[in-house]
Amino acid sequence: MTDTLHATDNFMPEQRRGSAVMRLALSNELGLAVLIAIAFGAFAITLPGFTSPFSLFTIGRQIGIDTMIGLAMMAVIVTGGLDLSVGAIGVCAAMVFGFLAQKMGIPLPLAAPGAILFGAVLGFINGYTVVRSGVHSFIITLASMSIFFGVMIFLTQAQSFNELPASVQALGKLRVGGMVSVLLLITLAVCAALSIFYRYTVLGRQMLAAGANPRAAELSGIRTGRVIISCHMLTGALAAFAGLMLTARTGAAVPSMAGHLGQDWLLPAFLAPVLGGTLLSGGRVSVVGTLLGATFVTIMTSGLLLMRVGEFWILACLGLMLLLAVLADRFRQQVLRARGMI
Amino acid sequence: MTALHVAHVSKSFPGVKALDDVSMTLKPGSVHALLGENGAGKSTLIKIMTGIHKADLGEITMDGKTVRFANPRQAAAGGLGVVHQERNLVTRFSVAENIMLDRLGNHSLSSVNYNAIAQEATRWLKQLDLDIDPMTPVSRLSVAQMQLVEIGKALSLQSRVLLLDEPTASLTPNEAQVLFRILRRLRDDGVAIGFVSHKLEEVFDICDTVTVLRDGRNACDSAALKDLNRQDVVQMMIGRAERISKRAPRGKTTSAPFFELKNYSSAAGHKGISLAVRPGEILGLYGLVGAGRSELAKAVLGLSPQTGGEIVVAGKPVTIASVAEALEHGIGYVSEDRKAEGLILLHSVLANAGITVWRKLATKFGFLSDTTIASRVGPVLKKLEVKTPSLDQTIGNLSGGNQQKVSVAKWIAAGVKLLIIDEPSVGIDIKTKAYLHDLIHELAESGTAVLLITSDLTEMVDVADRVAVMDGYMIRGVVENDRNYERVSTAIMGFIHGRKAA
Repeated sequence: MTDTLHATDNFMPEQRRGSAVMRLALSNELGLAVLIAIAFGAFAITLPGFTSPFSLFTIGRQIGIDTMIGLAMMAVIVTGGLDLSVGAIGVCAAMVFGFLAQKMGIPLPLAAPGAILFGAVLGFINGYTVVRSGVHSFIITLASMSIFFGVMIFLTQAQSFNELPASVQALGKLRVGGMVSVLLLITLAVCAALSIFYRYTVLGRQMLAAGANPRAAELSGIRTGRVIISCHMLTGALAAFAGLMLTARTGAAVPSMAGHLGQDWLLPAFLAPVLGGTLLSGGRVSVVGTLLGATFVTIMTSGLLLMRVGEFWILACLGLMLLLAVLADRFRQQVLRARGMI
Repeated sequence: MTALHVAHVSKSFPGVKALDDVSMTLKPGSVHALLGENGAGKSTLIKIMTGIHKADLGEITMDGKTVRFANPRQAAAGGLGVVHQERNLVTRFSVAENIMLDRLGNHSLSSVNYNAIAQEATRWLKQLDLDIDPMTPVSRLSVAQMQLVEIGKALSLQSRVLLLDEPTASLTPNEAQVLFRILRRLRDDGVAIGFVSHKLEEVFDICDTVTVLRDGRNACDSAALKDLNRQDVVQMMIGRAERISKRAPRGKTTSAPFFELKNYSSAAGHKGISLAVRPGEILGLYGLVGAGRSELAKAVLGLSPQTGGEIVVAGKPVTIASVAEALEHGIGYVSEDRKAEGLILLHSVLANAGITVWRKLATKFGFLSDTTIASRVGPVLKKLEVKTPSLDQTIGNLSGGNQQKVSVAKWIAAGVKLLIIDEPSVGIDIKTKAYLHDLIHELAESGTAVLLITSDLTEMVDVADRVAVMDGYMIRGVVENDRNYERVSTAIMGFIHGRKAA
């Protein structure tokens, strides 16, 4: 940012409306980082084994996968919409990967991009239908979730691909420095790429503009329809990516790995971006926030599991967390509206 | 005898004085026109009468008693019925259910006696000459019939005062005549009728008294309409020029037009529109609200399909299907609705000013940096004296005037050759307004063709070179602007209202 200052310091200052305080209040990243530190510290002290290299490795790997799922949802929340079919797309893409790698014997460097491309195609179907019909993405993706998943079960006969090349599972188990999962590193790289994408590419900026105010974006010469379809395609590709990471962790492509209809993904998918400060009404994203959101959720879940808290309690806890995060989102929108920014 | 008296009412909203000491008197057996351009305060006044807003000062009396309605329901119960511009019917319900909607039963769980409500509804339908089965769903009615059902609903509440907000906006002339016949009968029965319309023919046809609002003040208070002619009323609506324009007429350009419409028709309803704007020329597009000016701009930008004629840009016939394509032809549009259509309030000044040039500035792979954008839009923003702490400032935090400058700046940065500017001075301060006028002139001097849409006749006379007059989605004529306010406004009004005589 410093490099633009020379272009800005000629502007005459208008009354600055408490922007420093506001930015802090409106940014979730700082609050999340503090929460993460507190939770991590508390678990590290009270739970022996929480900070063991293996524990850190599995937590890191889970953060990697949950962040990817959260990014997939974030990419479509940008438009003010959502995608209930992220889980279904992720599993479908994983099964396509299994088919390509196991049945067709296609080398992994081709099979993996092929599966991600397939995810983007499913995302295109969602996006095209949403844009052309004008129906809210909730209904469209509720339908496509069932269609994608149903067709996948029919085609695979609900059979797993569990004779994948050994390198797939090896990747899932690979550690750097004894405790850092390679999957986490891959996710961090994708985070970096997405941050650059939203900030330094035309398409990324157009996505934010079309998401914040489609009418104004259209009247400023942006082809809003195409841009929104691209958002859904990005969601599909990222969901596919998450599906592949899950396949690497399991060592097999399993139709039930994201639960029935892929709905096990929905909670982490919404939790990470919404906790991270991505506006549900669209037009503002936080890649770092999504990463931090997923980190917080994973640490809480792992810690509570280690404390032998029942899984249903954890689910209830996550649900409550999502509710609070959504209320915080409402509050953010109200503040923004009061300041004439929406 | 006074049915409803509005006495010295004032109302402020944050930053705006919407009504300033406004009075109006509605009498039984009279149809009273409430006139004024957009933003003059008509809607605010109606909202205060019906209890949606509270007046800061002043009072409203009905039959001599002070009334303070808390909401439209209370107003209706007190005998003040309103038929709003937008339909307020439940279209899937029957006519009878709609008329009796808030009296279907004594309490929420009591069963509905359909025979009784049908009978009651029939009584009101008869009075309105509506020969329809009261059990017909409203969705099967014509727009005119719906309008009458709404009036029936208001009447059934024993309204002694009936306010109609643009009742004829969606009616054909024949349907309007039916409505007027009924209104006259209601008037003769002693109902006091308030009539808001932009169509002056109708006002002179049906009304006997008129109140004109301008900038939130009375331009006249309950004057007898028979003493006035169209010119008087229009003058009161738009106001006299407070000053002689300081600008001399600009020299005519004779270069070939940059942008032409030839016999252009659109799905929005425009018919046979022909106009031409030359490089360096400011063509004004004037008309009353509802004349189809903004709609023309948007149709030309591809938001409504073209149904006939030709769009010619730089001598070549083109088709434009989206704003993106218009931009490729060098056409930009500054919307009248800055907040909803012009700017992305959530985003920074830089993002808003640069949105039109992102594609142009990007590298082969679609990358671009803030620095690149700032180097393009920075000088334009600086030239326009946009006051902002930094380019990263959220644009929603800037003042209206600065926001408006940014929404013009983005098209200048894009280097458009035709700029369509829609109502440039809505909601901005006088200083910025004058600045924008200078800016429009500068743009024209530098060879940009400008199409200026404004309802502000003073602004039009001050800025435009020629004025194309629009009414009913057609061009009625073109007036050369010699900056003589009287002459130009008379000529313009002649085109709008003189078409019966012509």
